[in-house]
Amino acid sequence: MKGAPFSFLRLGLVAQNTLREAVRQRLLHLFLGLALALVLGARSLRDFNFGAPELKFIADCGFGAMTLFGSALTIAATAQLFFSEIENRTALTLLAKPVWRAEFLLGKLVGVALLTALFCALLTGLLAAVLWVREGELMALDPEGFRGGRAVSYAMVALGGWLQWLRLVVLAAFTLLVASFARTQVFAVVCGFGVLVICHLQHLAQEAYTRAGSAVGVALGGLFGGMFPNFQVLSLADSLAAADLPAPGTMVRLTAYGLGWALAAGLLAVLSFRRREI
Amino acid sequence: MEAAAPVPAVAPALETRGLVKDFPVGLREVKLRAVDHLDLSVPAGVIYGLLGPNGSGKSTTIKALLGLVAPSAGECRIFGRPSGEVAARRDVGYLPEAPYFYRHLTGRELVGFYGRMCGLGRRELAERVETVVAQVGMTGAADRAVETYSKGMLQRIGLAQALVHDPRLLILDEPTAGVDPVGSAAMADLIRGLRDAGKTVLLTSHLLGQMEALCDRVAILDRGRLVAEGTVAELAGGTGRQQLEVDRLDEAQMTELRAWLAVRGRGLHGVAAAGRGLDAVFLERVGRVKGEGKEL
Repeated sequence: MKGAPFSFLRLGLVAQNTLREAVRQRLLHLFLGLALALVLGARSLRDFNFGAPELKFIADCGFGAMTLFGSALTIAATAQLFFSEIENRTALTLLAKPVWRAEFLLGKLVGVALLTALFCALLTGLLAAVLWVREGELMALDPEGFRGGRAVSYAMVALGGWLQWLRLVVLAAFTLLVASFARTQVFAVVCGFGVLVICHLQHLAQEAYTRAGSAVGVALGGLFGGMFPNFQVLSLADSLAAADLPAPGTMVRLTAYGLGWALAAGLLAVLSFRRREI
Repeated sequence: MEAAAPVPAVAPALETRGLVKDFPVGLREVKLRAVDHLDLSVPAGVIYGLLGPNGSGKSTTIKALLGLVAPSAGECRIFGRPSGEVAARRDVGYLPEAPYFYRHLTGRELVGFYGRMCGLGRRELAERVETVVAQVGMTGAADRAVETYSKGMLQRIGLAQALVHDPRLLILDEPTAGVDPVGSAAMADLIRGLRDAGKTVLLTSHLLGQMEALCDRVAILDRGRLVAEGTVAELAGGTGRQQLEVDRLDEAQMTELRAWLAVRGRGLHGVAAAGRGLDAVFLERVGRVKGEGKEL
């Protein structure tokens, strides 16, 4: 009999099934609804803009919604979709077939990555639409201020959505890594949020330790820096101007950085899951 | 790709040698032995029953055979191939106890999904899905979502997914648990049909009467150890007695019969009224006869 080589087809089938299951969950609808409401309602929150230009404030609200609800969705969906397979014993039936555990686990990761891609694409599209409409209104009110045409770079908005997606994929991979050995879903979710905080704040901690001259702090910061990605790297300049668009090479490097971390965490999850007893 | 292990020319369908499985329990990870030096050999083409009380190691043995848990010691082989190899599972169809499937899929989609996971091509898949769905009597409900299925229907669609890639070996863990007598009888007929088609079936159940009627060989496990193994006749027979079914005798005839037996050095050890059995009455009254296999 022939062997059973690793199959991307089977991986794709698991991913497709994961996505199909995810989009039917109320959790997605809840987080998506909240995020959409925040993006759409950004205009009515402009009194809280702390002096930022209105369009910049709307963009910040949109990306903030993507970060907040996207992260919550990613962590919850990854843990839930993994543990539902274990607890409902669908994994038992599936892994009793000629299926590699790596196909199963990476399929789960790809399924969540597709889910977050949908989420980010939807929110980025909506954000761009809200910005476009508001920018048009502002142009009509103040033609002088927009003499050079539209000020918002929509390519910049799209890149912002792309980088946001990269962050969510990395987060999904780390959550899956924890889930691969965790006994409970709650543990995986809590650790997922812990990873999110570390990835977002580690650069601040490193700066603070360096400023304070604490050798232990710097060493700890370096250790965490080696173990977790720095999400600050995956953010755009604090501007919506076309002039601040990163060079294509930079985007390729950032994409490689994000996907590289996701792949590394995903492979570690596979190694850990190989030893798990179903 | 995994390295192919040498496969003996005539290998048993299933084999365990010195299989041991320990589970760590509690914070101190004290070892609990679920399977204790189990040697089993299931020849191809038979219905083989794995019996034992709850906690006797049946499910753990099955999981070890399917590569879902790693043995602490010993080995498991499927048609001569180590069961840890992914390729070994190409020959196996598995129906877990109380199966739970992806609720959002229809029965047909579910069977198709597992068929594709087993590497069936599109054309072959469509044909196989129709065949096995019909084989388990689910054609009429195949386009309904799995979440609307009854327990019996779940067992049937579960059997269909186990059969979709036409495996040589079927492992059925409590296939009639929670299924009504009509469904149970139909499932038994299906299993016999599979054996007659040349498949090997490993079966677990607590319904000993059904196992006795179905299985060619049985193994009895207790606390992870094999306590008995053989054909049903070898294990359950051997009392040196026979049962005769005769027309009703009155008291005088009974006395005469006892005397006739006594002259020949034989005794009459029991007399009971022969009934059709509740199973037969049930099957008759609910309008189906055994073998119809329409509703599980």
